[in-house]
Amino acid sequence: MTEALRKHAWTMGLLALLVVLLAATKLIQPSFGGPGLESLARAALPFAFATAGMAVVVIVGGIDLSVASMMAVCAVTAATLMERMAGVPAIFIVLAVGLGMGLLNGALIVVTRVPDIVVTLAMLFVWEGVALLILETPGGATADWVEDSIRGPFLFGWLPKAFLIIALVTAAIWIPIRRSKLGLSIYATGSDEMAAFRSGVAVGRTKIAAYGICGLFCGFGGLSLAALTGIGEPVPGPYLLASVAAVVLGGVVLGGGRGGLLGPIIAVFILRIIRTILTLMAVDPNVTTIIEGTIMVAVVMLGTAATLRSARR
Amino acid sequence: MKKLMTGAAAIAVAAAMTPAAFAGGHKSYTIGVSNTVQGNGWREQMICAMRAQALVEGDVANLIVAHRNTDSAGQLEDINNLIEAGVDAIVLNPSNPDALNSALDAAMAQDIVVVAVDAGVTAEGAYILSNNQEEYAYLGAKWLFEQLGGSGDVVYMRGIAGVSADTDRDNGFKRALAEFSGINVVHEVFTGWQQDQGKQQMFDFLATGIPFDGVWTSGIDNVIVDAFVESGAPLVPIVGADNAGFVQYLTTVDGLEGAAVTNPGSVGGAGIALAVDILNGEAPDSTTVLVDPVLWENKTADGRATIEGAQNPNLDPEWPVSVTVPGWTDYSMEEIIACEGPGDS
Repeated sequence: MTEALRKHAWTMGLLALLVVLLAATKLIQPSFGGPGLESLARAALPFAFATAGMAVVVIVGGIDLSVASMMAVCAVTAATLMERMAGVPAIFIVLAVGLGMGLLNGALIVVTRVPDIVVTLAMLFVWEGVALLILETPGGATADWVEDSIRGPFLFGWLPKAFLIIALVTAAIWIPIRRSKLGLSIYATGSDEMAAFRSGVAVGRTKIAAYGICGLFCGFGGLSLAALTGIGEPVPGPYLLASVAAVVLGGVVLGGGRGGLLGPIIAVFILRIIRTILTLMAVDPNVTTIIEGTIMVAVVMLGTAATLRSARR
Repeated sequence: MKKLMTGAAAIAVAAAMTPAAFAGGHKSYTIGVSNTVQGNGWREQMICAMRAQALVEGDVANLIVAHRNTDSAGQLEDINNLIEAGVDAIVLNPSNPDALNSALDAAMAQDIVVVAVDAGVTAEGAYILSNNQEEYAYLGAKWLFEQLGGSGDVVYMRGIAGVSADTDRDNGFKRALAEFSGINVVHEVFTGWQQDQGKQQMFDFLATGIPFDGVWTSGIDNVIVDAFVESGAPLVPIVGADNAGFVQYLTTVDGLEGAAVTNPGSVGGAGIALAVDILNGEAPDSTTVLVDPVLWENKTADGRATIEGAQNPNLDPEWPVSVTVPGWTDYSMEEIIACEGPGDS
């Protein structure tokens, strides 16, 4: 009960922080409204998928340093394919490529027993090279409807399509898994691998599956990069560290076994809105990263302190 | 409890941020800057030139600089944020000519002036102010080939594959090459515009023992001289850019014959000047403005005098020494070194 409350409290706290930050944005820039939310959601799109993928492997007790490189592979694959074929089959191929890369990462970790941080660091370079092999320089093209699918509002005029995509994709992948045996195994493996193994969890297969899910999310991340820019860029963007940051801020314990996907995704929006606020305020760019880092550490520290106190009571 | 504390923290953060937001006011123009490479001498000079020019342009009340290492998606985010900030113009160094069109089109739909410096963008209606990279390569290569008497083997050290500045320079280099049938390229390599990488590549060439008579570099220049000196190889003519370190070598390293071709990072300042002109209704006839480079060689007394005059011990060694763009920028040397824009102090 306390545990459930704790998880819940963290997410609610983040949500409250996001609302306050949005209000602050509105205060700083009174014209901030629908279009602002829309560009915020679009900016969050690749970060949200990288973070969702990272969260799953962190929950299983691992880490994947190759998320940004896998996203680059998926982005160039998407841009290259869509130049030659229809959008829908191209999307499925890209997602399969993402899933395949993730499964391969997981299989290497489980089969070779080399620590995940080493394997995925190596794969960071491998996937980076693969992306350059697919597309030597930024190029390719995306289908117009793919670009339109993430632009503009949906239905009400203020609900951005990009936000809807993040919510739908993450929910469609994660909720069924979370409720299934696999979800239970992922959390069990993350909290105590030995105990999970002794309770009959197929630890190896669970880990491979978790890395596969991460790869699948990276597939969506790569697709969103291609949809945002209309091209594919082979050089990985800043998604690795940003995803780790959002996962931590989102209340996922780095050792594994605790946390969910909702918190980290809210954290992505918090980190993006902070960037918007700093731009609106014309803060010196050399200072912005310091502020971003400080706010992150402060929130995590405050949150931890509050959680500890409520746990003691 | 948790909620309360997080809430309190958030309000504290928001409260700390709000007063500064109103302090800027809206005297006249607010200009936004977007750049995606941080910590490179050329780009830092570009940013400082933008700040200095905005300061001396009386009409610019505020300069919002989004300056970080990121990809095209990140630059899209920055440009969208600048649009939200209500800027009158956006001056950007584009990460890619095609990737930013959605945000640039959105900006221009709101009558925001868009000026791309250093490289072009394909968005219709955007102004482009760039160093003439094709001419840059042609000038230097032609001088080098003339020094070799029209025949010999040269090393061709390029920048980053697929970047438009590199492609343009390649066209200029090839144009010069076509004029000298006796010149052969014995090594062609991409330095990635990285000092350490270029230096190692030169070490490798020297180690192979295949002789060559001259080197053309795409701005990774002083470390190439270092590689010759450190490996004890006899110097050959070297063409580089006007980076402070290389320009200094041209007057101080014994036996070095070479030329520096100007590629001012201060083109950023020119971009601000152009944006202000357009905002004031003085748009140029063409949407593309090219700044032509100049070549400084150290073989003639005149050339040496120019080089000596261009040097400035106060400059960062990685900065190009041509800190102004004549006809465009109005700031002084002190102002660009101070690197302060409107609103800073």
